[in-house]
Amino acid sequence: MSGKSLLLKVILLGDGGVGKSSLMNRYVTNKFDSQAFHTIGVEFLNRDLEVDGRFVTLQIWDTAGQERFKSLRTPFYRGADCCLLTFSVDDRQSFENLGNWQKEFIYYADVKDPEHFPFVVLGNKVDKEDRQVTTEEAQTWCMENGDYPYLETSAKDDTNVTVAFEEAVRQVLAVEEQLEHCMLGHTIDLNSGSKAGSSCC
Amino acid sequence: MASAPAEAETRQRLLRTVKKEVKQIMEEAVTRKFVHEDSSHIISFCAAVEACVLHGLRRRAAGFLRSNKIAALFMKVGKNFPPAEDLSRKVQDLEQLIESARNQIQGLQENVRKLPKLPNLSPLAIKHLWIRTALFEKVLDKIVHYLVENSSKYYEKEALLMDPVDGPILASLLVGPCALEYTKMKTADHFWTDPSADELVQRHRIHSSHVRQDSPTKRPALCIQKRHSSGSMDDRPSLSARDYVESLHQNSRATLLYGKNNVLVQPRDDMEAVPGYLSLHQTADVMTLKWTPNQLMNGSVGDLDYEKSVYWDYAMTIRLEEIVYLHCHQQVDSGGTVVLVSQDGIQRPPFRFPKGGHLLQFLSCLENGLLPHGQLDPPLWSQRGKGKVFPKLRKRSPQGSAESTSSDKDDDEATDYVFRIIYPGMQSEFVAPDFLGSTSSVSVGPAWMMVPAGRSMLVVARGSQWEPARWDTTLPTPSPKEQPPMPQDLMDVSVSNLPSLWQPSPRKSSCSSCSQSGSADGSSTNGCNHERAPLKLLCDNMKYQILSRAFYGWLAYCRHLSTVRTHLSALVNHMIVSPDLPCDAGQGLTARIWEQYLHDSTSYEEQELLRLIYYGGIQPEIRKAVWPFLLGHYQFGMTETERKEVDEQIHACYAQTMAEWLGCEAIVRQRERESHAAALAKCSSGASLDSHLHRMLHRDSTISNESSQSCSSGRQNIRLHSDSSSSTQVFESVDEVEQVEAEGRLEEKQPKIPNGNLVNGTCSPDSGHPSSHNFSSGLSEHSEPSLSTEDSVLDAQRNTPTVLRPRDGSVDDRQSSEATTSQDEAPREELAVQDSLESDLLANESMDEFMSITGSLDMALPEKDDVVMEGWRSSETEKHGQADSEDNLSEEPEMESLFPALASLAVTTSANEVSPVSSSGVTYSPELLDLYTVNLHRIEKDVQRCDRNYWYFTPANLEKLRNIMCSYIWQHIEIGYVQGMCDLLAPLLVILDDEALAFSCFTELMKRMNQNFPHGGAMDTHFANMRSLIQILDSELFELMHQNGDYTHFYFCYRWFLLDFKRELVYDDVFLVWETIWAAKHVSSAHYVLFIALALVEVYRDIILENNMDFTDIIKFFNEMAERHNTKQVLKLARDLVYKVQTLIENK
Repeated sequence: MSGKSLLLKVILLGDGGVGKSSLMNRYVTNKFDSQAFHTIGVEFLNRDLEVDGRFVTLQIWDTAGQERFKSLRTPFYRGADCCLLTFSVDDRQSFENLGNWQKEFIYYADVKDPEHFPFVVLGNKVDKEDRQVTTEEAQTWCMENGDYPYLETSAKDDTNVTVAFEEAVRQVLAVEEQLEHCMLGHTIDLNSGSKAGSSCC
Repeated sequence: MASAPAEAETRQRLLRTVKKEVKQIMEEAVTRKFVHEDSSHIISFCAAVEACVLHGLRRRAAGFLRSNKIAALFMKVGKNFPPAEDLSRKVQDLEQLIESARNQIQGLQENVRKLPKLPNLSPLAIKHLWIRTALFEKVLDKIVHYLVENSSKYYEKEALLMDPVDGPILASLLVGPCALEYTKMKTADHFWTDPSADELVQRHRIHSSHVRQDSPTKRPALCIQKRHSSGSMDDRPSLSARDYVESLHQNSRATLLYGKNNVLVQPRDDMEAVPGYLSLHQTADVMTLKWTPNQLMNGSVGDLDYEKSVYWDYAMTIRLEEIVYLHCHQQVDSGGTVVLVSQDGIQRPPFRFPKGGHLLQFLSCLENGLLPHGQLDPPLWSQRGKGKVFPKLRKRSPQGSAESTSSDKDDDEATDYVFRIIYPGMQSEFVAPDFLGSTSSVSVGPAWMMVPAGRSMLVVARGSQWEPARWDTTLPTPSPKEQPPMPQDLMDVSVSNLPSLWQPSPRKSSCSSCSQSGSADGSSTNGCNHERAPLKLLCDNMKYQILSRAFYGWLAYCRHLSTVRTHLSALVNHMIVSPDLPCDAGQGLTARIWEQYLHDSTSYEEQELLRLIYYGGIQPEIRKAVWPFLLGHYQFGMTETERKEVDEQIHACYAQTMAEWLGCEAIVRQRERESHAAALAKCSSGASLDSHLHRMLHRDSTISNESSQSCSSGRQNIRLHSDSSSSTQVFESVDEVEQVEAEGRLEEKQPKIPNGNLVNGTCSPDSGHPSSHNFSSGLSEHSEPSLSTEDSVLDAQRNTPTVLRPRDGSVDDRQSSEATTSQDEAPREELAVQDSLESDLLANESMDEFMSITGSLDMALPEKDDVVMEGWRSSETEKHGQADSEDNLSEEPEMESLFPALASLAVTTSANEVSPVSSSGVTYSPELLDLYTVNLHRIEKDVQRCDRNYWYFTPANLEKLRNIMCSYIWQHIEIGYVQGMCDLLAPLLVILDDEALAFSCFTELMKRMNQNFPHGGAMDTHFANMRSLIQILDSELFELMHQNGDYTHFYFCYRWFLLDFKRELVYDDVFLVWETIWAAKHVSSAHYVLFIALALVEVYRDIILENNMDFTDIIKFFNEMAERHNTKQVLKLARDLVYKVQTLIENK
């Protein structure tokens, strides 16, 4: 590890049961517990990683998905560097709620520039056979709602999980760079470059 | 020699240990990317490997006399194996380094060795230096591999490394750890800022064991401070007093100009002169004269009395800059006497020097010391050959002032001198108007007066104006006034009665800057510091500090007490229940006592039983019997008949509730099926709905009839028949028969149903409305997005609101269809199963599981449940028939209206029938349906995930869990299901293992727990109470928690309170904690959870403090510590904390 590593706070949001905790645990401990219990309150785990030569400590916050726990969840949005909007491809409702999650986050995280806040959308549980949400739909949603990168993951099969979190880091770093550039007086095309919409399918 | 199997066992054990440690290290490597060299895992890993390598080592190979066998072995190996040779060289170099360092800390070594583990390069790390270095050099695996290959050379035949299997396994186990990167980086985030909770706990255990039981940082809690303050006052100053003696006389900062033993001083007029050590010190800017009684110097006073010794009062420190005159008297029979007079005219007690020119020597040293700024006036004369001599003067007082009228006798002029100390450059120094003003204002005369020289006497001016009556000032400020010494009394002042005896701290004016500034530590602007302050003053200062601290402590204590009374008195019961009276309650409630109680309810008071539970829990075997009492399902003192009655009522109520929601669920399922199909269709085709899709939908909805049975009935259906046929195809015919049978049975059984009227007569508030209308309107309303923002939106319905119309003629269709055997029922069954709650439960699920579920159902609801279930099943089948018939009849657009028809069928038409299906004959309003849909969805998601790792939660028992939860939610639909309710229900079900009973107990439990959920408001109260409690009982921790001021501080307790610690503890502990909480309500505190929470915090408070955890760290720490707490310890601490608060309140 060279120099001081950057601490990035990442929040996992999405309906209950879409696999937020599983994604986090898969990424940090490389374990998958199909019996995992639903999250009460908030939990978080740290993981160090290197993305494009930068050392980063990801602090991944896992939240309770049920609407009722809003008051418990929202205080932790503040100071987040990135938000992972998660749904389950076998649960249409969870997909349709993405917008609500996005709004809730932007509202409570007190994001200064919601247009350019790094969101990453994850369609989890691609290992399941009966999909209710197609890749195209999800990609369309991402395009329409802010040109977010979309990744299809499976915590169970460890599909794209690492990629997803690294993408989150890239998003943050890219936004940071943009800010730096802006301060230097450069004009930047915000819609190109950094947002490499990577999708596994 | 041990037998062969024993040897094999030993080998296995050794190997297991290594495996475990390797796993730990590899895990650490995965989660942290690096493994720190000082990680505790490395140490234990090295120990484990060493044990293996040494196992069965030949004595020759180990070296007969070598203490470090590993070193001997590795060096031997090194002769033939180059990597080992390299290693040997490196380690030997290291050892040399360590050896040199060790010499300095030889003394410590012994202590440290006893410790199990130490962080950093500890003696333990050194102990395993060879293995450790081999690991970091990545040659350990190679060396062990070499040893295995050449094992016959080094090992006895029973050795692990000789074993043809175990040896190679060990070698290959080590390959992994040897491939890792190890780091020494001390600042790397991954190790130092982010150690796991485990690591933190372990580190703490290590160093706390070696320091002492109590944390050194632990400030005593208020009540302790109160009780022991006078005691604690004693030991601290004694330590520092000793330090002072040391530092004052061997101080590197001050040059010792002069030192003389046995200089006599008469400290008090009523006692003999005392010999002591006179020393003259020079620091950068001032000179100090000190006199310390011999008793203090040589420590002849016993250690215990050391601090209290009166000699402290006699010791003197005089700042020479305050001294103006030195009166010297030379006597024939003694060496001479010096009296120092300060600028305010106060005379110091005379110093009597021993014979032999010491006086002159002292003066000469003093004169030298005064240079270059000051000088003696008159100066000493230099005489060739003799050094300094007294000036040949005959004048008594060359420049005598009015103040120094303290007179000598004139007759000994030749031997008496008065020297003045002058600072030619700074005359103004001596004029200190402030000081003089203040002294004059209090009209103090000289405290010391000289009586005729030659026989100098000491007069102590004990001014009567110094009455000890100054304590009434709330903030005692040290008075700058002169005081007679009286610290003796103060030392004995106990804090509790402090105010009445409070006196201003006595001090001498000898250190005016000190006393004026009033700063206790003496680091005042005048440059006065400890070295220069008189010992006496220092001691006084210490005492003063202690006293004032105690006083402030006392004040704070009073304030806290009032806080306690106003805020916390409601938290505990004021009656303190003893753990020992009338008998020791440590054993808890045993089966024997309970039996006795059941036999004769007068044998034990309810309160006594609760006391037993509170202090000792319930014997696991009788939990099932006792919990219903604790939770309020039964009342203590109920007779068996009464209890039966309660049970029956509960069963009836439960059965009815279940029937109600099952009816609702059927409809919900159906709607869901439809939306699911739509989603599927949409997903697969991506096209909008067309007429074809309509038909498809219709088909799907037909299928969903079956699924609407839900797992409870649908799966049972299948299971019922799975023994008779392995093929789903066969289900049909059997089902037909079964259906008839079931109906027949139902009719038979019906008369037996207790409270049958209740069951049959149920009506929802909406039952007055025509159901079909209700439902249709529900559908159309449902298509409004507003109603379904969060939960499943029925796409299909949204798109086809118009075609979904009620059909009243469906009843007839049903009638006819009943006789029809449907062709698609078998595939339908399959689909239903797949999509039912437990998708993993296939039709050919083993029979025993089925038996267990029906068995348990029987147990839970001896008859009714069975009846209801079967009844429901039959109604389901009816619906199939209905659906099928419709399906078969035609493909008219009206067919789309199937659902309303079915709904009406399920709820209204069947209500008129004789079958108990009518029990579910409730009309459901659309709002209710929507609400229930939402909740059902959530319940199922959570039930599926509920404690699946715990043995009890087989699919069958999860089913029960779901039933109870649905029933509860059905009764509390306005609250709805909230995550966490499952957690609360699960332990109840495990213990009670009876649906209806668990339902009743859960309902009771939720009366309290509901408040903690987001819709309640108790959580904030809990947080506030936690805050107050921590503030009162652990102010230090409180400060830390407020350091990073954040309102989210107590969020780490959220889960604790929400679930009564269910997620924090393993199941067995949850049982214990829960029953303690329930009993505590009547024994010690209705808010006992608070004290458990506090105890959990307190158990780790040192770790939290040491690591300066912020709130995120604390959240992480406790999340990681979940299920790893020592529950017994926590509970005991919690009880102690309750007791503490109780006594705080009691001591008004």
